[in-house]
Amino acid sequence: MTTIEKPVTQARQCSRCILDTHDDPGMSFDEQGVCSYCNMYDALPKYDFSQGDPAKSEREAIISKIKASGKGKDYDCLIGLSGGVDSTYLAYQAHKMGLRPLAVHFDNGWNSELAVKNIENVVSKLGIDLYTYVIDWEEFRDMQVAFFKASVIDIEALTDHAIYAALIKLASKNKIKYMLSGNNIATEAILPSPWIYKDFTNIKDIQKRFGTRPIKSYPHLGYFQRLYYLNIKQVETIQILNYMPYDKDDAKKTIIEELEWRDYGGKHYESIFTRFYQGYILPTKFKVDKRKAHLSSLICSGQLTKEEALEELKLPIYDPDLLEEDKEFVLKKLKFTEKEFDELMKMPPIPHKAYGHTKSFFEQYPFLKFLRPLIKNIRRY
Amino acid sequence: MRRVRVIPVLLLKNGGLVKSVKFKDFKYVGDPINAVKIFNEKEVDEIVILDIDASKEGREPDLDKIKEIASEAFIPLAYGGGITRIEQIKELLFNGIEKIVLNQSAFNNPGLITEAARQFGSQAVVVSIDVKKNLFGSYKVYQHSKGKNTKRDPLDFAKEAVQLGAGEIFLNSVDLDGTQKGYDLTLVEKIAKEIEVPLIACGGANGVSNFREAIQAGSSACAAGSLFVFQGKHRAVLINYPSQKDLKKEVFEQI
Repeated sequence: MTTIEKPVTQARQCSRCILDTHDDPGMSFDEQGVCSYCNMYDALPKYDFSQGDPAKSEREAIISKIKASGKGKDYDCLIGLSGGVDSTYLAYQAHKMGLRPLAVHFDNGWNSELAVKNIENVVSKLGIDLYTYVIDWEEFRDMQVAFFKASVIDIEALTDHAIYAALIKLASKNKIKYMLSGNNIATEAILPSPWIYKDFTNIKDIQKRFGTRPIKSYPHLGYFQRLYYLNIKQVETIQILNYMPYDKDDAKKTIIEELEWRDYGGKHYESIFTRFYQGYILPTKFKVDKRKAHLSSLICSGQLTKEEALEELKLPIYDPDLLEEDKEFVLKKLKFTEKEFDELMKMPPIPHKAYGHTKSFFEQYPFLKFLRPLIKNIRRY
Repeated sequence: MRRVRVIPVLLLKNGGLVKSVKFKDFKYVGDPINAVKIFNEKEVDEIVILDIDASKEGREPDLDKIKEIASEAFIPLAYGGGITRIEQIKELLFNGIEKIVLNQSAFNNPGLITEAARQFGSQAVVVSIDVKKNLFGSYKVYQHSKGKNTKRDPLDFAKEAVQLGAGEIFLNSVDLDGTQKGYDLTLVEKIAKEIEVPLIACGGANGVSNFREAIQAGSSACAAGSLFVFQGKHRAVLINYPSQKDLKKEVFEQI
């Protein structure tokens, strides 16, 4: 009896970073074998800090603009604080630049002890006022469970959307014009698009289908609300770390020395859920190793060589003892039995777009699709 | 140097954690399982968890929830709320609770204190006493389940509880609850020097120096709510606990 062996599809890896076509089958390569993500990285407007400080005047202009906006008010900007490297370093820099931020921590019920201790140290050592937005845990739990049942990849969209919504509403309420964001090109510009899907319409539909209660207090922004805050209230987000050299190791060293910050291992591992999601759910169910995106960003920004990145990738993604402990905790919090959870983990992934979502222009008006090539051509010029 | 216990008090309401001011104005502070996990990692001495609606609503202790919470704590846990029968106490103690806190039963069913102490030892039986000043400024025992002051004198009430078998008195000031103005030291002193069992002071703590004051006034341990769940002028929810270094320097070495 002969069996026909399916050819194992070999993934093609980028010649510069460590992403490959398993991470995003849609990625393309140029003549040098460099992937579309690296090319996108190169095309991003950004400063090169290898010689001098080319962003100095721009940065100072931004700082004085922020300061001017805060005249006569308690705060001139708002920063989200998770206790992780990026937001901690952001708070440190904001303080150093003489800004008067209101720090906002979004508590989604998954804080680690490290996270809260780091936040405590940052705000007390820098003398920054803190506000915490605590999500209604029972409602949020129901929504997270719904995402598990929907079998979609971006479970963290629930947290990410709510953080943005809560922060922008708070900024607006406190008459703060500027939100400083720890997002940055140097350590996180590269992120394969199949891994992420942030869309409130999608969240709403998944909750309607799989949730057991309506969305009530969950902070969210619909399309028009977003327009309202951005255009009428004119709350502006500034990624200030892009205007200064941002080296991950240097940043860590600084906050460890100055703020008694404690390291927690992986990127975004300050949240127990995120740790479990990135360390177990993504690799096991979705065959995604999120470290590859982060390491690829570091390669592009010159903080790591490809060889170093590949070496780091060989390290275990999760300490087995910690995995065991976290799994038990996650199941308890989400009220899953081991069997239920394992069944959900075995369910094949379902694309976000299989559920309701905000449609693109052509999805909304399919009869206009014949115009698409034309528009593409127009855009090219 | 003397080591004393420093105890976070967590209030359960509708399954979530809340913090009150003067037994009112409840602010939601999050999921109890996560909070206890964080306190556990901070290596606190002990945690007191009180389901503040159970007796009011005539509910039994939510054993499933308590079990879940207890499984996150390797430190001693005391639980209070809705305890009316000896079987419940047995269940609680068999499911990871170290001590039970009786409040409503001290009014309705004092025999339960005695029976619990007889079966499980008085070290497992805490009687909590809420105290509120009346219009004339004298201390009276406040009955939480009814939401009003009684005519009972706290000292008599405490002495009686001890006689019945309470191994510890948890003394809470309603007037100072959530205010972070410091403990009612007069009250602490008044009760502590008259009873032979340990007294836990609660209500009003604003920092480690308050612990020292309470111990000097005669209490054996210090409890606090707001102090350990809030940070700064916006009362941002942020679980915290003083370091052993600070406690040693500011409290243990001073008493």
